[in-house]
Amino acid sequence: MDKRIVFIKDTDSQEQERTREFYTAFLDQLRENNLQDEVQVLRVADIGIYGQGVVAKVLPAGITYGRLSNADIKKIIESTIKEGKVIEELLLNRQPRQLRIVLRNCGVIDPESIDEYIAHEGYAAISKVISGYSPEKVIEELKVSGLRGRGGAGYPTWMKWNFTRQSKSEEKYIICNADEGDPGAYMDRSVLEGDPHSVIEGMIIAGFAIGASNGFFYIRAEYPLAVERINRAIRQAYDYGLLGSNILGSDFSFDLDVRLGAGAFVCGEETALIASIEGSRGTPRPRPPYPSREGLWGKPTAINNVETLANIAAIILKGGRWFSGIGTEKSKGTKVFALTGKVKNSGLVEVPMGTTLRDIVFDIGGGTASGKGIKAVQTGGPSGGVIPKDYLDTPVDYENLQKLGSIMGSGGMIVMDDDDCMVDITKFYLGFCVDESCGKCAPCRLGGYQLLGILSRISEGHGVADDLEKMRKISEAMRKASLCGLGQTASNPVSSTLNYFESEYKEHILNKKCPAHKCKHLITYSIMQGRCKRCRVCVMNCPVGAIGGDRETGFYIELDKCIKCGKCFEVCKFSAILKE
Amino acid sequence: MARFCGPDDLERKKKELKAGPGNWIRVGMGSCGLAAGAEEVYNTLVDESRKRNMQIEIKKCGCQGMCYAEPLVEVSVEGLPVVVYGKVNKEIAVKILDKHVAAKMLVNDSIFDLNT
Repeated sequence: MDKRIVFIKDTDSQEQERTREFYTAFLDQLRENNLQDEVQVLRVADIGIYGQGVVAKVLPAGITYGRLSNADIKKIIESTIKEGKVIEELLLNRQPRQLRIVLRNCGVIDPESIDEYIAHEGYAAISKVISGYSPEKVIEELKVSGLRGRGGAGYPTWMKWNFTRQSKSEEKYIICNADEGDPGAYMDRSVLEGDPHSVIEGMIIAGFAIGASNGFFYIRAEYPLAVERINRAIRQAYDYGLLGSNILGSDFSFDLDVRLGAGAFVCGEETALIASIEGSRGTPRPRPPYPSREGLWGKPTAINNVETLANIAAIILKGGRWFSGIGTEKSKGTKVFALTGKVKNSGLVEVPMGTTLRDIVFDIGGGTASGKGIKAVQTGGPSGGVIPKDYLDTPVDYENLQKLGSIMGSGGMIVMDDDDCMVDITKFYLGFCVDESCGKCAPCRLGGYQLLGILSRISEGHGVADDLEKMRKISEAMRKASLCGLGQTASNPVSSTLNYFESEYKEHILNKKCPAHKCKHLITYSIMQGRCKRCRVCVMNCPVGAIGGDRETGFYIELDKCIKCGKCFEVCKFSAILKE
Repeated sequence: MARFCGPDDLERKKKELKAGPGNWIRVGMGSCGLAAGAEEVYNTLVDESRKRNMQIEIKKCGCQGMCYAEPLVEVSVEGLPVVVYGKVNKEIAVKILDKHVAAKMLVNDSIFDLNT
């Protein structure tokens, strides 16, 4: 890499204007210095830095300058480009935020080729294990690493494996839980699609450690590409003798098979998942006995999440000590989050545990797409809660999120801005859980339904003063008395929003107003005559003909006909429609 | 494919694979990429590079994480930094071949990430 290139991007706005202006000025000055053939100036779409004015990155030196004005171009050309010197006062010092362990191969290797995985240290971990590890040593290595389950609860993986190992049985099983169902979360899908072999390798090592000779992938059928790639990867591993009998010439044998989930959210719960693999109805059963004693077909079973398993090979290769050096005191390693919602750069991020929410949302996510203020961040899906903007500096780990009334969950992270109504959001999550409740136990079946009813009433403007107290009581009952994790946590969004946004609920109940203008029944539209240019665009676009009047006398919205679809608000070019 | 009979076989295979070609293009073909039109971009790159008789390997890969900028195309050409183009369509794909691969000039306005 010898060619000199300068990358340019205005990091304050999404408009290209300032970037272009700076670009032209830079090109002109290069020409004056007769350097135009030696240096390429380039406008880029994203430079990974936000809110630092015009940023220039000079290659191959890799120097990044921020907050630049046109006056700085001369300096950059004179010192950095001609003499290779660094201009200290313009320098932008940035540490990389992301660290990729789970996603190490995602987007790097061809997921359909086992050879590419092998070329990237693939199956080196199982080879290392077979050449000289006892099962106890594998578990010990995991204990040192401090890896905790990435499915949500954060149970130490080594303990789960150790319990399963200690259970006496002829047959044992290992299951990969790939029934990812939280709205807005798709970490597992990306790993299965992008690096299927790393999960398979994790399962083989797990099988070796707990003494299982059979494993199952439980993948939801809505992930056809993931299923296809896992199936292909399993076939390739069999062909190479990395699955099947006598793996790599040892006396350890391990078989893997795939089972598809039919799309029930509750089947992500381990006992319901086991029932589903057995061919029964996917409903949970009380624990204990835990699956590590009596799991699949009554045999000891270890169930791990996709992300947990994708960590295993890296831990074996680099050592538990290396892994435990990353993260916080109680939460080790990295976590993959699916950053979605009102954020500019939605996608997957993998950060060391202990990174603050602010770093994730602003430095990696680039802030909100709308440029409006952030109201809260929702983590943990329907079992999680909201974290208001005042707590954005919290380092993310299992304990901290729990303290704030949310959970790590599988890693969904939904950013909400000022336009999001907390009552509406809570109603959405609760509606999801009511739909997905299996109906087996009363607290979840009835409690969820009642909560949803109250929330709907509030959002329709029929809330009464003691609703909040009632909701708190039902939430508490569901948390204490439900059979499985789904019911126990289904009321979390309610308690967490009640905790942080009680005033917003009160505004809905007492003043019959929705501050975010989201709840349809609580808003009205009207035309501000002073701004209206009488262009009739709203009249033409109203689907129910609710806008009356004429060009002479002006237009008005007939409230009894209006269905509050917001179409007039969207189409008005003069911002003459008032929404309140 | 031959079965590996021991760790040595795996090691040998890895050594064999290490000597890969220098110039390559990778297209993100996870669900997010495919939904944004990666298939069309991949086919365009394959067809157009064949028409131009270019010596470049075009590969598929999974999701890089920048789902907002899919379809993503990562390009590595000797003498140039490895860059990731985002929101690539047919036109940009052709530009990548003509400008980046053939003329060794990076393409303006489409780079989302730098992998150095």
